[in-house]
Amino acid sequence: MATQSESSLSETRIAGFGWLSVTLLFGGVLLVYYIVPVGSLFLSVPPTEVLGRMNSPIIVDAAKTSVLSASISTLIATIFGLPLAYWLARADGAAQTAVLGIVVLPLVLPPVVGGIVLLTVFGSGSPLGEAAIAAGFPLTRSLAGVILAQTFVASPFLVVTAKVAFERVDQTLEYASRSLGKSRWHTARRVTIPLAVPGIVAGVTLTFARAIGEFGATMMLAYYPRTMPVQIWVSFIELGLENAYPVAILLVGIAGVTLLVINIIASNPWE
Amino acid sequence: MTLNLSDLSKTHGQFKFGPFDLRVEDGVLAVLGPSGSGKTTLLSLIAGITEPDSGSICLNGRELVGHPLENRDVGMVFQEGALFPHMTARENIAYAATTAARVGELAATLEIEDILDRSPPVLSGGEYQRVALARTLATDPAVLLLDEPLSSLDTPIRRRLRDELHSLFESLDIPILYVTHDQRTATALGDRIAIVRDGMLEQVGDSSTVVEQPATEFVARFTGNENLFEGSVIEHSEQGVTVRVGNVELQTATSNIGQSDITVCIHPSRVEIKPSRAPDDEQIINTITGTVIRWLNEGSEYQIEMATSWGSPALTASVHPPVFERLTIDTGTELQIMIPPSSIHLMPNRG
Repeated sequence: MATQSESSLSETRIAGFGWLSVTLLFGGVLLVYYIVPVGSLFLSVPPTEVLGRMNSPIIVDAAKTSVLSASISTLIATIFGLPLAYWLARADGAAQTAVLGIVVLPLVLPPVVGGIVLLTVFGSGSPLGEAAIAAGFPLTRSLAGVILAQTFVASPFLVVTAKVAFERVDQTLEYASRSLGKSRWHTARRVTIPLAVPGIVAGVTLTFARAIGEFGATMMLAYYPRTMPVQIWVSFIELGLENAYPVAILLVGIAGVTLLVINIIASNPWE
Repeated sequence: MTLNLSDLSKTHGQFKFGPFDLRVEDGVLAVLGPSGSGKTTLLSLIAGITEPDSGSICLNGRELVGHPLENRDVGMVFQEGALFPHMTARENIAYAATTAARVGELAATLEIEDILDRSPPVLSGGEYQRVALARTLATDPAVLLLDEPLSSLDTPIRRRLRDELHSLFESLDIPILYVTHDQRTATALGDRIAIVRDGMLEQVGDSSTVVEQPATEFVARFTGNENLFEGSVIEHSEQGVTVRVGNVELQTATSNIGQSDITVCIHPSRVEIKPSRAPDDEQIINTITGTVIRWLNEGSEYQIEMATSWGSPALTASVHPPVFERLTIDTGTELQIMIPPSSIHLMPNRG
């Protein structure tokens, strides 16, 4: 005859098994839903054929444009985003909430809408757009347009992730540094930023990944020069799905490298 | 060096600190108070982590309010040490020191030469705080603030480091504010003690005065004195005031007190006990009989709670172990209790 404690233990085990079963069942379905399409993409076309198509000048140009524009937009996001992230991490009150809301706005805005929003400011019909065209530096249908679109959509990733990284740095360490006679800037350079680096690297990596994959806003603002996502779209519309695979596989590869960077040299912001 | 705080106040949400006036000369002022009393706020205001709503903080005549903390020349050892975790112990000290020789000198003083190349996370609690102190002293501050640096340490390490700090503080000719909630640490380290309660200064004075002549019941209780009894003044004489507690009359050395309803305060360490029926007890004034209700071994001393002829509450005496063992005390033991007139402190009864 089972004692009361044995009985409750077995109930706990059953309940635990049940709970695990539910999570595995529902979570597993979702995991399969993530993995199967990505695996299917790689199996759809023989690797030799993919490699062969990647030598196409159109794809090489799209890759160059994407890497260059994403690098520049990530740099811009880092330069302008880190101070804002630090302020958001240390401030509180209504102003902080309001500013954080503004930062997150491009994340929740559909990218195509983001593109339209940008066109009202940088489009050829806007005063700024007209002035830029007159100066020989058009802000649409140009590399500048691609960078503007990517920065708008991707920079919030930098700000939000770096904010979390700065929040994890104990403010007492900053007070300690300053009480030792060191300035705010010296403290930031020697204490705050080194301790926040893993989180900042995660933010930079995520921003780059989001920028290089940006499609909606870029389509609206700068159809040319073509980035990889735009090239995928064009290949799909003009030549069919199979012609979109090589660039799609390249982008999946970049996403994989991003995940590796985050888990190896940076701190995973979602851990 | 003189640190002068005048009319200092700060409101933080529901908590109101001050107005606070305090003058700190060279030597150690132990700031003692319960959690949430404003001890850390006091240090934050002096260090410049928080700016006051009003008031002044002067260091040798130089106003500190409005100056950023890096320009105040105030060193602070934080409660958890706040060592930079990405630097070794040596790098932490070198961060503040102007020369490598200074790092070596401080390491020798604080006996941390062997651990200089270790990272803060692998240091023991005592080592961690020694490095934190060395780092703060590396700047040769004009004022040293310590925010409960021993509170997270185990008792043996805490005692050892407390003794070492005492020696170190004697070699520093600067004002030192040592915040603690532990009365023993305060009396061991402080030349003077400031008692803080609800953001206000309750009493400041030398250690023995604060402990044996508390200004308020709060100070008495917080410094470990539970012997507080309501009484009344029955006579003023040349020897001092005579008071009645219950049905017992006690002769005090207090020359004058302007109120008839008073609180009688007797520090447990000043209560003398002897076995009952000692032949020469009849002649000693302020001698009463007590019966042990309970006793407690607190390591370095015993607390003996006794029922006396003046009724409740019970009277507590603290005695050293040899005395306790000689008297073979246990629950129910009858004792003669002698209270020297000079050990009786009278406070106005605030109701």
